[in-house]
Amino acid sequence: MDQKSAGLNITIFFCQQLDPQQDVNRRALEKELGARIRFFPLPCGGRTDSLHIMRALESGADKVYVITCPEGACQYREGNIRAKKRTAYAQELIAEIGLERERVELIALPAGTSSTIDKLARELLAREATLGPSPVRAKQA
Amino acid sequence: MITAERKPISEIKEMIAPYKKVLIVGCGSCVAECASGGEKEVGLLASALRMDAKASGKDIEIKEMTLDRQCVYEFIDQLTDVIGQYDAVLSLGCGAGVQAVAEVFPKVLILPALNTTFIGQTKEAGLWIENCRGCGDCKLGYFAAVCPVTRCAKGLFNGPCGGSRTDRCEVDPDVPCAWQLIVTRLEDMGRLDLLCKVHPPADWSKQQGKGPRKIYREDQRS
Repeated sequence: MDQKSAGLNITIFFCQQLDPQQDVNRRALEKELGARIRFFPLPCGGRTDSLHIMRALESGADKVYVITCPEGACQYREGNIRAKKRTAYAQELIAEIGLERERVELIALPAGTSSTIDKLARELLAREATLGPSPVRAKQA
Repeated sequence: MITAERKPISEIKEMIAPYKKVLIVGCGSCVAECASGGEKEVGLLASALRMDAKASGKDIEIKEMTLDRQCVYEFIDQLTDVIGQYDAVLSLGCGAGVQAVAEVFPKVLILPALNTTFIGQTKEAGLWIENCRGCGDCKLGYFAAVCPVTRCAKGLFNGPCGGSRTDRCEVDPDVPCAWQLIVTRLEDMGRLDLLCKVHPPADWSKQQGKGPRKIYREDQRS
């Protein structure tokens, strides 16, 4: 079963340099899935913060993606490297409370990728759901 | 500044286990600079503990608050109106902060979420190094502002041990030999003569010999 069919709540932090038209491109998907998908455009992957990832999980996200430019292709030089480190920190922290590290995933796009945020999100939603609903959300409901 | 590191979540969970309402209190001074106890770290810890509680079906309320300084009464006083609502306070202050808050609110349990480690310097982003032991008898003026007591693994006052290799300490190759730094800097300043002075062993009575130290300044008192 894919992540969309599994009814997972997905939160996506992404570098908006990836898709200059992101604010328009994501609307259809947001309308289709409502609160089940939340996009957080960042001026650069370097704005990724472990705290934002933790707050997203606490607010009911089953899976958090952080999408950055390919390594070596950050417009601000090191933003995607910082995103990687902060994502790793959040993964360590949730592991300490017994949550799966896989609930947070960094996706550094392959070099030469040219896509839009809605297409990227649909690809992620089409992935097999290897995780169920977060135990945090399950108890909230 | 004083540096610290967060305790493992498992240890923190064990401490707060008996309580239903916990206030996490950060400190915006030293421990914020070393990214262990500032407002952001309060948020990270609170988020983690709340998620852990939800996931395991525990009924616990965890709130967040950060003081500018946790070791000064004027700032601690901000807790006066709220602290009574909680069963325990989880402090993200250094050991001095934890004790200061506990002294002001002697009937409230104040728990430490950090392990206070050393007096140090922010060497670069994400790297803090110990460079002062607070010995109470500073001799940096003789040693080109490099403390041999703290930064030499052997605490040598009167010259290098001779074991350094290519300016690295033989105890830890990641650390520069303090005496290499001292000699190089004094050489650059033309003040190698400062090394002619022979220093007696450090007087540790100024640090720990008479129990906890205090500084008393009549001109600063009200």
